[in-house]
Amino acid sequence: MTNDLIERYIYAATKRLPGKIRADVSNELRTIIDDMLTERCGNTTPSEKDIKVILTELGTPQELYEQYNPDSDKCLIGSPYYSTYKYVLKIVLICAASGITLAAVISSLISGFGNTDFLTVNSFIIFFRDLFVRTFETVPSALVWAFAFVTILFAIFYHKNIKIDNTGNLDNLPSVPVKKEKISKAEPIVGIAISIAFMSVFLICPQIFSFGITKTNTWIPIFNIDTIHSTWYIIVLFGILGIIRESVQLIEGRRNKKVMVTTIVTNVLSAVMTVIWLARDNILNRDFIDFVTSYFPDKGEAIPPVLSNFQLLFMGVILLALAIDTIDTVVKTYKAKNNNSC
Amino acid sequence: MNHDDIVSGLVQELRRGTLILLALNCLQKPMYGYNLVKELQNHSIPIEANTLYPLMRRLESQGLLKSEWETSESKPRKYYKITEDGLIVLKKTTEQWKAFSNNVDKLLSEEENKNDK
Repeated sequence: MTNDLIERYIYAATKRLPGKIRADVSNELRTIIDDMLTERCGNTTPSEKDIKVILTELGTPQELYEQYNPDSDKCLIGSPYYSTYKYVLKIVLICAASGITLAAVISSLISGFGNTDFLTVNSFIIFFRDLFVRTFETVPSALVWAFAFVTILFAIFYHKNIKIDNTGNLDNLPSVPVKKEKISKAEPIVGIAISIAFMSVFLICPQIFSFGITKTNTWIPIFNIDTIHSTWYIIVLFGILGIIRESVQLIEGRRNKKVMVTTIVTNVLSAVMTVIWLARDNILNRDFIDFVTSYFPDKGEAIPPVLSNFQLLFMGVILLALAIDTIDTVVKTYKAKNNNSC
Repeated sequence: MNHDDIVSGLVQELRRGTLILLALNCLQKPMYGYNLVKELQNHSIPIEANTLYPLMRRLESQGLLKSEWETSESKPRKYYKITEDGLIVLKKTTEQWKAFSNNVDKLLSEEENKNDK
């Protein structure tokens, strides 16, 4: 029996099913409906009302589709990954939003206050205007990217069944951290935000590190913008190393060997990156060096060695900071370990 | 609290759990979809049609049932029948069900007797 309503019903129930089963399911449904109508009406021709009763009994086309769809029990990110996904997503969104906002604040501070004689009403207006525009320009897109990245990552974990739960082996359950051993969540989150801010500022607007010359009202960038742009991958790697270091601290939540080793490895790699990056002689802007040297009338001898080797000084400061961080981590880890074993 | 809603939900869950066992058991002889619905209804086991047909298809994709379109009759029908693997699964599940339902019955009647005293 062919009936327009039945055909519409079958079409609605099967149109989104995979092609290879669609025709078969349609035929099966047609037979079932026919059997149900025969049962209800016998040899008399079923009325429109009879058909509606039978189709209502069979369920809505959407319900049928859900039942027949081989993927109906699948979802983008299901249990047991969903709760971890929500936790990670929350942290990543906080880090991305605060990192990008921090970058916007730094660049707005410089554009607002960098070129004026001092704190004037105008400089505040420029600061808040730039902060507003930059925040609303960059934060939403950063959040969308962060959301997409974490979601895709966890969708892959879920569909490839990649194991992320390591609490299955009871012997490997970590001990309850004592107070000295604990790393607060805020510490690594701020660290990740700073890494994101560092990457954003250097990649998007390295020119904000500029010296303002009030007399001529011009700006001299400290860095050579072309070189910064061409060495983007070093900046990205530097930022990623920072994010890895802080993420391990966040996940572990305690001073342990894993955190210590990650910190040492990422810091050593960051130091290597720094040396590679600053070993180029054109990272600093030539005009900036000329501008600084022009302040010293007897060129050459009178320029303090610190300024003539500004790039080396810059390298030294970064390496020193990395060394202090490494030593600090090692000392804190051993202190926590001793404390724990007492 | 709406007890009826909770009870109907629980009963539906119980039925859903046993449906595969019942379907496999009935399909030891070839049957088409509506035939199976009627067979279950005759044994006072009500079943939602939109649950049963997709279920049979799923069991087929798991290799527990096989199907064939029968076109020699007045209208073409898809007949389902249990496979060798399906029979093994049916036998093992039936044993589990009997032991389980027996234990459940015992526990429930013990509690009933206590309450009666």
